[in-house]
Amino acid sequence: MLKSLVVIVFVVMSLFAQEYEEEKSYEIGEGFQVGELPLYVGGYFSLDYRFKDSKSRYRIDDLAFLAYGNYEKLSYMAEFEYKEFYTLSETDNEYTSEQDTTLHTERLYLDYTFNENFILRVGKYNSPVGFWNLLPINVLRDTTSSPISTERIFPKFTTGLYGSYTTYSEGELKIDTMLQHNDDFDETYNNYVIDEHYALGITYSLEEMDFKINIGTFDNYLPGNTTRNLHYILASFKYETEEYQVMSEFGSQRSNGSFTTKYAGYLQGVYHLSEQHSTILRLESYDDNFYNLQDEMAILGYVYRPLYPIAIKAEYQFHSISVENQFLFSFSVLF
Amino acid sequence: MKAIICCFIGTLLSLQLFSDEYAVVTHKDVNSLTLGQIKALFLKKTAYLGEIAIVPVNLSSRNPVRVSFEKRVLHMSFIRLKSYWTKQHYLGHRPPINMKSQESVKAFIQKVDGSIGYMRLEKVANGMKIVYRWSD
Repeated sequence: MLKSLVVIVFVVMSLFAQEYEEEKSYEIGEGFQVGELPLYVGGYFSLDYRFKDSKSRYRIDDLAFLAYGNYEKLSYMAEFEYKEFYTLSETDNEYTSEQDTTLHTERLYLDYTFNENFILRVGKYNSPVGFWNLLPINVLRDTTSSPISTERIFPKFTTGLYGSYTTYSEGELKIDTMLQHNDDFDETYNNYVIDEHYALGITYSLEEMDFKINIGTFDNYLPGNTTRNLHYILASFKYETEEYQVMSEFGSQRSNGSFTTKYAGYLQGVYHLSEQHSTILRLESYDDNFYNLQDEMAILGYVYRPLYPIAIKAEYQFHSISVENQFLFSFSVLF
Repeated sequence: MKAIICCFIGTLLSLQLFSDEYAVVTHKDVNSLTLGQIKALFLKKTAYLGEIAIVPVNLSSRNPVRVSFEKRVLHMSFIRLKSYWTKQHYLGHRPPINMKSQESVKAFIQKVDGSIGYMRLEKVANGMKIVYRWSD
């Protein structure tokens, strides 16, 4: 009897030994799953401080929520954000505060993956132009500020269709197409108010290097119910190792045969002093005919990440227009 | 007695031969893969090979086999991968699921269509296909 019991226990244990045991644990910066649903949630926030022209500004800038998941070949992404949620400005010992409680739709899209090469997207998404605009939030950047070229050359968001084709061999080749022929979804939350955007991007990645070229055209609404048609080109480069990263984007924008932005670009180097500490040097330059502005700047920065999804950053910007010199500090978290 | 000693030494030598060799293995339904495709699958740049849905599985983050895989095959350190997956979370992509042991990876790969994992070479069993080998 005892022998039979031992045999049964042994057989049952052997059967269990054939089963796999999955390990699940929450890690900050990777969101968490809601039950067993194809739904992952997370979010991020950032607090920042600016000292410029003897004036201080304190902000709760971003407060955002993410939800995403996939089921077979379909996947989705939703991101809602309070932008400049609370701002406190100090001038000559006088304080003024502002609050913006508008909940913006930053991204809302549905993806269909046909196979290893083709993906089709419909909805509102970050325009995949350059490298910076793919990961534009404070905590994922190396500096509190973003380069001017990421604000002036192209629309940061596109509402419509997106298709990509990718091949993987020694290197990786990716072709992005963007197509918008409708009003923006949440048009106040874009750097340009647009109703058309057609663009193409080609990225080639080989080991530590990535090269990208984007061209596009879009219709921009201006105050006074007028529109202008703008064309742009942006070339990007990234080289990344365990110790450092070099990244650069340069672009130009034209309308009606003349430059609206003759050039805008940056060259940024990030050196990782250790796993938690990095220093940054960014050189920027732009010549904007539309706003009649031209500036060169050098940005010196430092970032401390006690854990990667938590960033404490400081930077100082030296501008050729000296009144633009400023100090920035921020604390941001992705969860 | 001599035979036992020879057998013992032979076993030790074979263990030594296999001790630092590893393999990326797939379920038997997966075709051969290039190194670029293996990296793309484990970094979740793609979830398909042709029309087949692929399920990559990792070992626990501190498992020495995983450390070796990330260093020798993905060519990425722990902190760089942490940064990569944090960025992927913002983009709506999840890291591969983690298994507690090589035995679990083995059972998973034998059972699940389209699965891919890695383990010590001596752990490879029937119902799996070796698509890449490396050693420390």
